[in-house]
Amino acid sequence: MHNLRTVIKFETVRTLKKKSFWIAALAIPVAGALIGMIVYFSNKTTDTLSQQLSQAQYSVAITDDSHIIAPKILSAIHAQTVPSKQAGIDAVKNGQLDAYFYYPQDISKGNVEVYGKEVGLFDDSRYQSLAQDLLKQSIAATTNANVRAVLQDRVAYNATTFKDGQQDKGFLKLIAPGMFLVLFYFMLVTFGNQILTSITEEKENRVIEMILTTIKPTTLLVGKLLSLTLLAFIQLVTILTPLLIGYFILKDQLSLPSLDLSSIPFDPLAITLGAVIFVISFFMYTGILMTLGAAMPTAKEASSFFGMVMLFTFGPLYASSLFISSPNSTIVQVLSYFPLTSPIPLLLRNAVGNLTLPQAVIGIALLITTTIIAIRIGVRIFKFGALEYSRRLSLSEVIKRKN
Amino acid sequence: MNTETPLITVDNFTMRFGKTTVINDLSFTVRHGETFGFLGSNGSGKTTTIRALLGIYEPSGGTLYVGDGPYKVDGTIKLGYLPEERGLYKKENVIGTMMYFGQLKGMSAQEAKEWSLDYLARVDLENKATVRLDKLSGGQQQKVQLGITIMNDPDLLILDEPTKGFDPVNRRLLMDMIEEHQKRGATVIFVTHQMEEVERLCDRVLLLKDGTARLYGTIDEVKKSFGGNNVIEIVSEHTVPKNDKLYTIKHRDGKVVTIEPKGDMLAIQRSLTGAGVAYTRFELKQLSLDDIFLEIYGAEGKEEVHA
Repeated sequence: MHNLRTVIKFETVRTLKKKSFWIAALAIPVAGALIGMIVYFSNKTTDTLSQQLSQAQYSVAITDDSHIIAPKILSAIHAQTVPSKQAGIDAVKNGQLDAYFYYPQDISKGNVEVYGKEVGLFDDSRYQSLAQDLLKQSIAATTNANVRAVLQDRVAYNATTFKDGQQDKGFLKLIAPGMFLVLFYFMLVTFGNQILTSITEEKENRVIEMILTTIKPTTLLVGKLLSLTLLAFIQLVTILTPLLIGYFILKDQLSLPSLDLSSIPFDPLAITLGAVIFVISFFMYTGILMTLGAAMPTAKEASSFFGMVMLFTFGPLYASSLFISSPNSTIVQVLSYFPLTSPIPLLLRNAVGNLTLPQAVIGIALLITTTIIAIRIGVRIFKFGALEYSRRLSLSEVIKRKN
Repeated sequence: MNTETPLITVDNFTMRFGKTTVINDLSFTVRHGETFGFLGSNGSGKTTTIRALLGIYEPSGGTLYVGDGPYKVDGTIKLGYLPEERGLYKKENVIGTMMYFGQLKGMSAQEAKEWSLDYLARVDLENKATVRLDKLSGGQQQKVQLGITIMNDPDLLILDEPTKGFDPVNRRLLMDMIEEHQKRGATVIFVTHQMEEVERLCDRVLLLKDGTARLYGTIDEVKKSFGGNNVIEIVSEHTVPKNDKLYTIKHRDGKVVTIEPKGDMLAIQRSLTGAGVAYTRFELKQLSLDDIFLEIYGAEGKEEVHA
């Protein structure tokens, strides 16, 4: 296409020069970094405080009618025993003791009572923690290692399921093809509005007549579409790069889970289908949003219709459990094949593995057809609507109108 | 280049928007290398004709050819078009915008940059090359747009109301530039209702009213077809009577009456005095396009012309 490269370069470079592009791209990793820092420092402060608390020397006494608390553990923290509950409470009241715990005879029915000297809202909880620890450690000391592991919730489980005699990878198999669903969501949320304004600005700037006599509207729209796709990927890389760098640097400090790619199964067919559905869906929505931008006189007017398009797109997310549990139900079939709603159902069903190849082919064919129609209508509206600077065009007008 | 061969051929062009006919059966040609004045008041159909010629509108009837067929953006004819509705990418800088359009018009990035910097220096905007367009004044933006129009030496230059928004100094600059392109051999279509500029620059004109060609030809032919080259302007408190033998009243505007003489000046003066018409001015004037325009459009057109 004549001049396509020039249009792509111009549209890409001028967007890359905009501060708003980089603010939007960097806002997510910056926000992520800030949240990470807050979590890190908060954890660190809490750990430090807990450590300080655990090391703090304070006087404790207990009355143990349950006979669970091990004397060895009591002596380790220099705790005393007092014969009556009232004596313990009085000792705390008159400042002779910092804390007193009463363990009833039957702890499954009666409450463990904790009394302590007020030391601030945050620090007051240390008494209850200690009372709980005394109980847990005393029970652990009287049981074997297996029971201790169960009690302390340290038992690891390894589940294996089989499908058609083959080991099934469970949720792990959703990760690779499911990434396209996440990508699609991200691209549309972050780039949808930009697609819209990239067209309306041609009208708002009154530059359209010069453009239409220099290049074909198809070249301009396709150039913008490809430029926006390129920019979306640049933005994605801009967001992911610092997040990944941050992950590897702060993985240990923030106790983040390990990223073991080797355990993630890669089904070439599911990944290929996911990639194709994702790319075509993105083009289709770009085409639709461009058409919308071409029909509206200003970005402000276009944005109200943008909400409706987003509703069609992301509405099926509310029925996501249905796509997994009842893939053959009528509603799932309708949402999977109606072009405006189909991207999410197709991507989700492909990820969970209930989208058959023929169904995927039909869905993709419908998406391609809609994309071509959307771009063609967009070009037509762009041509006719280009000189409508203050009025929005109706669809019937576009179809009927020769000029 | 054969200057007798038309570069533009408009044949039985009709344009309708819904039930409204904007242009009705319009035919004209523009020859290679000539400067053609496309005249008419606001709403007469000038811009519609240009848009149809350039493929922005699809004609309801007839044909509009640029060269051998309808205008194509990727065809062989290099176009420079300054539309009536002006605008540029306001958030972009001057040089970036000029380079973009230069490249779209077939220049390399380097050529477009060099040309743009030379042009900006010529129009005293050399220090604005990296400034955003919305930071420029309206007149400065007009200069940039004009520069974009004449980039890459167009074969066909279409200027729709080019002087709109220009002060006298910049208007002079614009005229000089148009003359340079005329000398280079470019075909120029000058869409306007500024008659003085048309008389100075144009070889032939077409005057449009209500979508129909009213006058078409060289300026002399137009003047002759309208009744000759000379008129007499009379300023009088009294009503100048009709006198088919000695003159034809061409135009009345309050106290000012324009007549086309048939007899000699002395006889007309005697006839007026005899009819009791006292006048403060009786002046033989060369008939101008402005007079013709006023005659065709009347008071409505005059208001638009002087607006």
